[in-house]
Amino acid sequence: MTKQPRLEVEVGGIRMKNPVMTASGTFGYGEEFSPFIDLDKLGAIVLKGITLKPKRGNPPPRIIETPSGILNAIGLQNVGVEVLINKKLPYLQKFTTPVIINISGDTLEEYVELARKLDNISQERGIAGLEINISCPNVQKGGIIWGTEAQLTYKVVNNIRKVTTLPLIVKLSPNVTDIKVIAVAAEEAGADVLSLINTLVGMAVDISLRRPKLANISGGLSGPAVKPVALWMVWQVFQTVNIPIIGMGGIMKAEDALEFIIAGARAVSIGTANLVNPKAAIEIIKGIEEYLVENKIKDINELVGSLKI
Amino acid sequence: MNLILNIKAKILLKEEVVPNIFLIKLLAPLIAQEAIPGQFMHIKCSQDYYPLLRRPISIHRIDKEKGEIFILFQVVGEGTKLLSQKAIGDELDILGPLGNGFNIYPQSQKIMIVGGGIGVASLLALAEESIRQGKEVRVLIGALKRELVLGEESFRSLGAKVDIVTDDGSYKHKGLITNLLEEYIQEGWLPDQIFTCGPKPMLRKIAEIASKVNIDGQVSLEEHMGCGIGACLGCVCKIKTNLSACLPERGPVCRADTGRRSQSGNAQAEEKNNSKEEYDYKRVCVDGPVFKASEVIWDD
Repeated sequence: MTKQPRLEVEVGGIRMKNPVMTASGTFGYGEEFSPFIDLDKLGAIVLKGITLKPKRGNPPPRIIETPSGILNAIGLQNVGVEVLINKKLPYLQKFTTPVIINISGDTLEEYVELARKLDNISQERGIAGLEINISCPNVQKGGIIWGTEAQLTYKVVNNIRKVTTLPLIVKLSPNVTDIKVIAVAAEEAGADVLSLINTLVGMAVDISLRRPKLANISGGLSGPAVKPVALWMVWQVFQTVNIPIIGMGGIMKAEDALEFIIAGARAVSIGTANLVNPKAAIEIIKGIEEYLVENKIKDINELVGSLKI
Repeated sequence: MNLILNIKAKILLKEEVVPNIFLIKLLAPLIAQEAIPGQFMHIKCSQDYYPLLRRPISIHRIDKEKGEIFILFQVVGEGTKLLSQKAIGDELDILGPLGNGFNIYPQSQKIMIVGGGIGVASLLALAEESIRQGKEVRVLIGALKRELVLGEESFRSLGAKVDIVTDDGSYKHKGLITNLLEEYIQEGWLPDQIFTCGPKPMLRKIAEIASKVNIDGQVSLEEHMGCGIGACLGCVCKIKTNLSACLPERGPVCRADTGRRSQSGNAQAEEKNNSKEEYDYKRVCVDGPVFKASEVIWDD
């Protein structure tokens, strides 16, 4: 019998059984998927983005389809950090899978307070790391998106870094001129890991009504349609920074995940696929393992960034 | 949490019952065991990435003995078109049963069921269950025209009293289904509960009628849906919140706008300005699709 390949990876101090995580916003608070999969089998779980106060979100329609993709404008509807801590996290503590909290804020102070709060209870509630969503508008700066400017990215990451020792993952926006510049800013500010890509801003029009299909007008594009863009960005960032990368964008099957790993991702996140197939992440883990066996690769880490040029 | 299954179900029968509306019978014993009237199934219609998402399809009829589920659906887009092209013997990838079904109160004696257009789809199983429980059931079916009337014989054969309204008067009553409902009530047939599914203006009017005569109304809503299991928060509708009953988990309490969403401006900002009623965005997939008619905010 051949030896099972090694699937364990470590990203920024977070040890995972395998490189497959769930992307924020597509996996709820984890519990929603427990009828379908064993949460213990996942590499890590990234929860729905959280804010200091509960958020109502955008009016519907919030989600529509485009070729090989979906556009969503949920508007960060969430229960707020207190409910997360008291009602959502205890359920996840039953599992050994690392839980990562995705955080958002309208102001620098909100980000910092949120990070501090989560840092304080991280032991008690089993928080393995924080993922910073820098794709939200900075209301103090006229709504400019934090993650579209290197200085703002540095500022928010650096200020969060000062209040927590938890592993910090910075989730990069693809809606920028040069993602490498933002990646470097995040790394210099103290990020332990970069995750990319967040959704691409887009829109769709109902031609009979001549109205936007989403109530919010614009939304974030995800799904197979964005995969080539995401891969290119992962590859570029991989060559630029020294911290690990979590690759994501349209991963539907193991082959997609492997593309990201070969292009430099230490781990991958499954997003839109969860909405279509609740067992997607588990099937992808199995597919990666099969690929390693077939190709006689003993350790998944050997594959990371192994792209031949 | 109710049992939710992800299974492959074989198509036993397929029929275009009226132009563009299909009836499919599926072999799905586990789902048939679990399902209650008003629930839905999330069905993968494409083999590939377009359309990517599943389609929420109402459970039309549940045959627990034979382990069969019927769906009745209208072709409205790419997903339902692909679904209509499936053949007998094909297997469908199904997630279900999903959502909260209709709540038939044990003490109810008279049940009124109102279905507009394809809304009839979610109501047949309800009529069957109501009759099984010994209720007196009346059904009002609305359609654009004679050729599009759905379910008349199915409801009648269950033992329900059925009335039909067509918009153009090409069959039975002419005009609005809600007018006929009001007539019934005025004539003294006051139901204990009204259940309805169909176009929003119809649901809204029925909610008003139910509220006026102070009877329980339950409506089945639909919205563009993502995961179907409550994770993505894609399929929301406005549901009134009661501050005194407000639990932290209910999320933020906000105020409803009175006017329409502006075509150019920021929809959220607009809503804040025209505030009137407190509400939450609730998920159609897990908090619904059946809601109390009196809780829904009908503003679009």
